[in-house]
Amino acid sequence: MSEMIPALDWQAIFVAPWTTDFSIYGWIFLMGFLVCAACGLAGNYLILRRMALVGDAISHSVLPGLAIAFLAANAWTNRQAAGEGIDLAVEPSGHGISYGFAIFMGALIAGVLTTLMIEIIHTRTRIKQDAAIGITFSTLFAFGVVLISVYADKVDLDADCVLHGEIAFVSIQPFFTIGTYQLAPSPVIRMGLVTFLTLGLMVVFYKELLVSSFDPGLASSMGINATFVHYALMCWLSVIVVSAFEAVGAILVIAMLILPGATASMLTTRFPIVLVLSLLHAAASSVLGLHLAIWLNSSAAGCMVVAGAGIFCVSWVFSPSQGILPNWLKRRRNSKCLPSAGIGTETVGES
Amino acid sequence: MKYLRLNLIGWILLLFMAALTPVHAARIGDITEISVWDQTVRFFSFKDPSLRYALTGAILLGLTCGLLGSFLVVRKLALLGDTLSHAVLPGVAAGFLWDMDKNPVAIFIGATVAGLLGSFMVTRITSTTKLKEDTALGMVLACFFGVGICLVTMIQRLPSGNKSGIDKFLFGQAASLGQSDIQLMAVVTLLTFGLVWLFYKELLTVSFDPGFAYSVMIPVAWVHHGFMLLLAFSVVIALQAVGVVLVSAMLITPAATAYLMTDRLHRMLLFACLTGMLAGIMGAFFSFLGHQLPTGPFMVLSAAVLFAVAFFFAPSHGVVIKWWTRRSRSGRVRRENTLKAVFHVLEQEKFRQEGVTLVELAELRRQTLDGTEASCLELVRLGYGTMPPGEKAFYLTPKGMRRAQTIVRNHRLWELYLTDAANYSPDHVHDDAEEIEHILGEDLVRQLERQLNFADRDPHGKPIPSAEEIISAHGTVQSSPPTATGYRKPS
Amino acid sequence: MLLSGLEQLNNMLHPSFMVQEKDKIPRIETTPPPANRWTKGLAVEDIPLEIHDLTVAYHHKPVLYGIDLAVPPGKLIGIIGPNGAGKSTLIKAIMGLLPTDSGWVQIFGKNNRKNLKRVGYVPQRESVDWDFPVSVMDVVLMGRYGKLGLFKRPGKEDRDIASACLEKVKMMPYADRQIANLSGGQQQRVFLARALAQESDLYFMDEPFAGVDAATESSIIGLLHELRQKGKTILVVHHDLPTARNYFDMLVLLNMRLVDFGPTEEVFTYEKLQKTYGGRLTILSEVAEAVRQNKE
Repeated sequence: MSEMIPALDWQAIFVAPWTTDFSIYGWIFLMGFLVCAACGLAGNYLILRRMALVGDAISHSVLPGLAIAFLAANAWTNRQAAGEGIDLAVEPSGHGISYGFAIFMGALIAGVLTTLMIEIIHTRTRIKQDAAIGITFSTLFAFGVVLISVYADKVDLDADCVLHGEIAFVSIQPFFTIGTYQLAPSPVIRMGLVTFLTLGLMVVFYKELLVSSFDPGLASSMGINATFVHYALMCWLSVIVVSAFEAVGAILVIAMLILPGATASMLTTRFPIVLVLSLLHAAASSVLGLHLAIWLNSSAAGCMVVAGAGIFCVSWVFSPSQGILPNWLKRRRNSKCLPSAGIGTETVGES
Repeated sequence: MKYLRLNLIGWILLLFMAALTPVHAARIGDITEISVWDQTVRFFSFKDPSLRYALTGAILLGLTCGLLGSFLVVRKLALLGDTLSHAVLPGVAAGFLWDMDKNPVAIFIGATVAGLLGSFMVTRITSTTKLKEDTALGMVLACFFGVGICLVTMIQRLPSGNKSGIDKFLFGQAASLGQSDIQLMAVVTLLTFGLVWLFYKELLTVSFDPGFAYSVMIPVAWVHHGFMLLLAFSVVIALQAVGVVLVSAMLITPAATAYLMTDRLHRMLLFACLTGMLAGIMGAFFSFLGHQLPTGPFMVLSAAVLFAVAFFFAPSHGVVIKWWTRRSRSGRVRRENTLKAVFHVLEQEKFRQEGVTLVELAELRRQTLDGTEASCLELVRLGYGTMPPGEKAFYLTPKGMRRAQTIVRNHRLWELYLTDAANYSPDHVHDDAEEIEHILGEDLVRQLERQLNFADRDPHGKPIPSAEEIISAHGTVQSSPPTATGYRKPS
Repeated sequence: MLLSGLEQLNNMLHPSFMVQEKDKIPRIETTPPPANRWTKGLAVEDIPLEIHDLTVAYHHKPVLYGIDLAVPPGKLIGIIGPNGAGKSTLIKAIMGLLPTDSGWVQIFGKNNRKNLKRVGYVPQRESVDWDFPVSVMDVVLMGRYGKLGLFKRPGKEDRDIASACLEKVKMMPYADRQIANLSGGQQQRVFLARALAQESDLYFMDEPFAGVDAATESSIIGLLHELRQKGKTILVVHHDLPTARNYFDMLVLLNMRLVDFGPTEEVFTYEKLQKTYGGRLTILSEVAEAVRQNKE
């Protein structure tokens, strides 16, 4: 087992990626941060609305959407190429719009389909919501795996990549060019766009999201359509999940979604500060996780989750209001009865 | 008995659907040399030892997962099952690292410990912080799985190149089951069935009403933790065939199928075991046909197909069946309302006329003339009346007259009951009575009559046709069933 | 030092972390009477319920504080108080379903958790999923499981007892029906039959009259009176003040602290009710009228 853990070479693990190897690792760090940030910000609403597991469902069920989108894009590209007389084997045409568009459409369809299926199952029969979620996402995910296994040659995914993504590929992807100026690898641009849009949408619709998460009835009476917000949130979540797919795969996304918000909510009760802390958590876990992955030669996504979980555990133990350690110390300090109820003020005088 | 018959029909339908699917199997993968039929024979003939193990393994896991999954579904713990199934991955990896090879016992212990640790952490998080249960479940699920993925990728990238088949544990491969695996699975299955049979009533009470279970001295904590332990075992034995990612589906989907098929827990357990077994067999079969594609997804898809069949066609809970029942009931309601309207018109004329014009009927029912004509045609088809050609009128047959009298009698009795016994004022009664009288059965009507002392006037003063009047309508005699009521047929 | 630093940080992040006025325990300016007022002279094992200094807190917020109570046998007792006063919590804490921060509870002289076999329990209707695939008879049979122990299955005698209990609540025609197809009043009667099947001496009922039609309510009261005739002791959490005056022999007035306990005529006074409901007595006029009538 000792051969599994490589030596802790400080220079190679912590210094080199930021200096000499920056051209490779720079984009990886950025991608990791963007993924964690987008997921972390959107995930706060999942926690508020107690829909963490619907988020889990969506992250699983984007797979068939992606697979079908790839197949469709493939068929479309083939038809285009045939129409124009291009032989794809010799002259691979850039995927360009159809690729990105296909992913986007696949995500939307998957998101809507999942939410619809869950609703239909638990409203039309006596099956409860938890079982409906479980049935829906596992069936859709299984369907996706079958598609990519059977049509392995036509779809650009493989089973392991589905589980944990491969963020390292980001730096070798073709760059997105404006004119002759090379900006960044396409996935990074896509993810950056998604992250900024997420931030923007959250700022613009801050009130609506907050009210409909807290009290859908009140929201409706204020003219905000709570159902629309729900479906819109699910769709946007699918977009985020799909954009993050290449980096972290299908299953670990849920960790990225929940961990930052959960950690932040243990440290504060004011929502704007929760959002800021989620961003900090995202940055910390992505950087630490990548260093961990470099050291252990392991999957980057898995290590980012481990780092995030580690930060959560630290805040769980040390959080001033809910942490295990401060509460234990407080209990020891008080001799009897309840710390926060102001007992000494009442004067009932029985024996 | 009737219920059992309906369920049998449901089952035959399910099996029929399952039998159809091999037709599609031919499209999976590239099956070139051997025909589908030969492959099927080879699979089920138990000659090939690894196939034998695959089939046995599928049966065992279907039984265990179906049994325990039923309790998850009725206790609304489906996502706890999901978390448990994902949380075992680091344990599996650790088990691998023990021997650097596939050691069933090490993997079993490692996975069980990881699973129990995961469920323990969920309870600790919910009780010590203000995070809600779904957040805690999602976190434990993903974090444990993340740790597992780390370990798995580290194992896969080892310079010694010893992969030892850990990738089979991700999506499952029934064909890789060996003799020791099957032995372990058999032991766990027997243990599970034995314990559930022995402690059935404790499990039932704790699942239904834990507070009450506590008050009848059932050791709730023991039962719950024992159940979680059994669940962890069943997850672990299903891992090799179904894979970590999809095990929870084998727990939930067959149980949910059974939940729709029946109204009793013990029958639900039976159905869930059968469905699980069937899904397991079908999944193993399809993955075998597809030249060793992973088994897990096929088992899940088979279970999903069975679920879909139950979703649409389960007796009394299936969507299509419910729609059909509602539709036939609204048809019956429509027919009965038409008959009643005819009776009212005739009654107004003190039964001097023989028939009713369609115009009168349309007015009374507030319908269009065409709608009324269609309703009357329906009644003619069933033999309740006649519509002579050329006349726009409807005449009741004796059978129709009897039916109309019965309906009106029920309606007026009900109105009387609502006014007298249930304190409704007479002018509110009519609407309620419209709805409920079609649902009254004969027994309830008899009870009502007895309760109301065989009254002969309804709250609006209209006469309630007595049973004898109905019997003697138009001179025909009908013998009432002997057990129905205290009535004696006037001889 | 570390703790105060963390606290400072915490106060920055949680402006609302300071204890609110409303969370402090309400002052009650009277001294509650000694607990054993109604059980003097009784042997310890004849007292159905005795509670001493019971305190239950949830996440540092007190729900029950310092409850002292001793209940005489053979009485129908109502527990009344405003919402959030801890009425359901009291029942659950007595039965050992919730952890307590201090105090003890004795049932017929023995520790409460060890003597549960003498207790019958009717929980709130919302505590259960009515889609559960069991029949009415299955639910009532659950009441017999305490007598059966771990390995035995219900036999003919148990079924007969269950049928008799169903007859008492007039639910025998529904014995084979799945519980989802019952009305609110019918569900409550099934729960009652289950408690009757336990054949206990002390009964706890949590809001048995909530959401129930008038006919069911009067038949439940009839049943409770019957039980009382047989010498059983019954504690009922009740939400409706006017009917409380008519239904119960004795009343427990609860608002996180025990305000008073005694015979209804003594305890159902304007002043005591005002102390219980903390000035939030919204149906004041009805109750005042009822109290005035009582005095005449």
